[in-house]
Formats: sequence, structure tokens, C-alpha cells
Amino acid sequence: MNTLNKKLIIAFFSVFILGLIGFFTIHQATQSRISNLPVISKVPEFQLDNFDGTSFTEKKLDNKITVASFIFTQCDGACPIISTNMGILQKRFSESDELQFISITTDPDYDSKSVLKDFSDKYSGKDNWFFLRGNIDDVVTLAEDGLFLSANLLPVGHSTRLVLIDHNRNIRKYYEGTVDANILELQYDIMTIIEQG
Amino acid sequence: MKKQLFFQSAVVSTLLSYLLIFVGGLVRVSGSGMGCPDWPQCFGRWIPPTNIDQIPSHIDPTSFNIVLAWIEYSNRSLGVIVGLSIIILNVIAIYYFRKELKLLLSAVLSLILVGANGGLGALVVSSVLNPFLVSLHMILALILVSVLSYACIESYKSIHPEKFKDIRANRMLLNCLIIFWILIFIEILLGTGIRTNLELVAIENPLLSKGELLNALDSYKYLHSVLGFSLLFLSIYIYLKLRDYKLYIVRFLGAFTLGMIIVQIFLGEMMIFFELPQLTRLFHTWGSSWLVGIIIILYNCISNEYVK
Repeated sequence: MNTLNKKLIIAFFSVFILGLIGFFTIHQATQSRISNLPVISKVPEFQLDNFDGTSFTEKKLDNKITVASFIFTQCDGACPIISTNMGILQKRFSESDELQFISITTDPDYDSKSVLKDFSDKYSGKDNWFFLRGNIDDVVTLAEDGLFLSANLLPVGHSTRLVLIDHNRNIRKYYEGTVDANILELQYDIMTIIEQG
Repeated sequence: MKKQLFFQSAVVSTLLSYLLIFVGGLVRVSGSGMGCPDWPQCFGRWIPPTNIDQIPSHIDPTSFNIVLAWIEYSNRSLGVIVGLSIIILNVIAIYYFRKELKLLLSAVLSLILVGANGGLGALVVSSVLNPFLVSLHMILALILVSVLSYACIESYKSIHPEKFKDIRANRMLLNCLIIFWILIFIEILLGTGIRTNLELVAIENPLLSKGELLNALDSYKYLHSVLGFSLLFLSIYIYLKLRDYKLYIVRFLGAFTLGMIIVQIFLGEMMIFFELPQLTRLFHTWGSSWLVGIIIILYNCISNEYVK
């Protein structure tokens, strides 16, 4: 065998091995997206009211993928950014009826149903986004014990993180609601959960 | 002997650069670009963390995924290795070939390109994978392998001038090769354009299937196919012209070019029918990058200005 033929065989095997490495790596990357969304905890029972007067309990989380946030309407720092980002996600996934959004106010004294209704009109383009209010103690309990988010010095001290909750009411991951890269990450994770069924 | 050293160093740099393009493509198709959200370190470490507890508190751990981090980091590490191999090439060039402008300039230019592309890699990460920057990152890599391929063939010619002494090419064929190279480059730009726009549409419409995404693109996507098929005819012409050359490498590379164009068309059509499988995308991109360097080598093989 002359040296050129030898080189050709080496080249052939190199490409073949690269193909295998590529295949394996892509497979691992796909798998890792799923394993990177471990079940953190189950959302406990709670009862709050939507701005339209209907009651919203943990049962409404079943069979839906939910993105949850804490806000209050008079907040002029993070809340408008978080709400705009949630609105972007709502629009991008508007064709899907698997997804829903909840925003819980940390200022129920001011945020009456009608105030929340106006806030909803401003940010939400579909009826799958619920703006919830309730007894402040219930809200704090849900935030701290249910979703493991800080809730000190309310209303301003609420967490700015978004919570991704799956079809089975399991908390899967947290995202900083004001960071674009996190929102994109959340979008990909929603896709991963949708594709998993 | 010294030229042999330069030649070997150039070949190693070129092959490593092609490997780097492969790994870079792997980062893109596996979606690992943000595997390390900081740069040049990965989650504040020189060796990517294996555990979420190792991430320093000032870095957001939300996107931590050990597999994606290592894919991204292998691209960066290989980039460093390519950089080192090109630095060695420059040391050889500056030490021995200060008067041989072709060798010296190609070495220096490749060093500038690899440095610039490393810097661009940082921008890619800080822009959260702006698709235009990602494509520019690949285009710079293509220019890099072109320059390195030039360094390879020029040093080879000066080691073995006797092999190239009798080679005569007509102007027509040489012009064809130049046009072919330019068209290949345009074809790759069109391909990255399609890729870029698919990504932009996919971000706005995450629920669309791959097939629907393709349909959502403007009609310029057909330009990529049309140009691809015209390149087939040009490569047949080049193949037929090169078939009669005595030098084996010229005949071989002529056949390689034609074969690669056929493979590329096949892979391209497969992607349309099977909704963009990732591995196909990877080899479609990588194969086209080989053509860029091969044509540079072919052109310089048959244009024998080096021989006095």
C-alpha cells in the first residue's frame, strides 16, 4: 500500500470517528437539557383570587405548564420588565394551550381586582395569564414555603425570579425575570417540557 | 529542512483549524453556545465546574449545564491549541523566512486572524449568541483556513519545485478556479444567512416545526439551492480539465472537489426532507469549509509562478 492510500484510509476513519463523536455529543446535549430540569418540589395547596373574581387554587396548575412571578402594580423597577418579558413569552407561545402565566401581587391592599385588571390589560394579550391577589400572609407563605422565594419587606422586597412549574405541579427551575439570557433559557426549557409531553 | 519544518507546522495548523471548525459547528448545532456564560473562563473557573456548588456567587447559575459547558469549553480549548500552533508557525517564519514574503505574510496573517476570531468569540458570548456574530465567527475561520492552506501549498512548492516545473495552466482554468472560490464563499454566506434567519424566526416562533420554519423564510433560500447546482456544473468542468494533469495531487483534489459538491447537494436536500437533522447540518457546514481551502491549494498548484 502506498503512502497516499494510507493517508486516505486515515482520513476516512478520522471523518467516521468525528461523525460518531458528533452524534454522541448531540445526543448527550439533548439528554442534558431534560436532566437539567430536575423536579425541585411540589407546589403546595393555596387559594388566591384572580382579578375577574374567580378563585385560583393549586388545582389550576394541573395539566398546564406554568410560569409564575411576584409583582405589585405600583412597582417601577423590576416588575414592568418582568411583566414585559412574561408578555413576550405569552405572545411567542400564543398558539399553545399548554402554557399559562400567573403573577401574584405582594401589595393586595392597593392592588384591588380592578387595579389588577388594568395591569392585565397593559401586559397580557390572552386570557391565560392570571393576576392573583389574596391575604398577604397567604402570599408570603406561598412564596417562602411553597415556592422557596424570599418575601421580606413587602411589597418591594418580593423576589424577581420566575418559577417554571410543570404539568404535575412540580417546580422545575428558577429564572431571573429581568435578564434576557434567562428568559431565552426559560423559553428553551418550556420547549423541552412541551416536547417531553 | 527548514522549509520542511515550516510546511509540517503549516499542515498541522491547517488540520487543527479544520478540526476547530468542526467543533465550532458542533457547538452551534447542539445549542451549547451559552454553555459558559462568561469568557474566557467558564463560570469563573479555568476548568468548567462539574457541580453547581462550584459556581461563584457573582455568576448566575441558572444556565448551568455540565454537558453544554464542556462542549463550549472544548471549542475554546481547541482554539487555544490552534493559536499556539500558529504561534509556532510564526516563530519558524520569523526566524528563518523573513525574506520569503509569501510564507512570512501568510503566517503573520493567520496569527492576526486566529487572534481576532478568539476576540470575536468573546463578543459572541457577551451578545448572547447574536446570530450575525456567530456567522461572522465562522466566516473568519474560513478565511483563516484559506490563508493556512496557502501557507501549506506555497511551502510545499518551494520544497519540491521540480514537481511543479512543467505544469502549465491556461488562464481560463485559473479564472474558473477564482470564480469557483468566490461563488463557494457566496454560497456559504447564503447558507449561514439561512441558518441565521431560521434561528431568528425560531426565537420569535418557538412552536413552529423545522419544516414550517423553512417555509417561513424568504425566497432567497432557493438561491442557495440554485447556486449549489450551478457549482456542480462548474466543478464538473474543473474536474475534467484537471483530470489530465500528471501531478497526482491535482487530479485527486479535482475529483475531491467534484465529489464534495455532490455530497453537499445530497446533504442539503436531505436537510429539507428530514427537517434539519443536527448531524447533517454539522457535516454540511464542515464539508463546505474544506472546499474553501482545497480550491486555494488547487489554484496554487497549477499557477506555477513560483518556478523560475
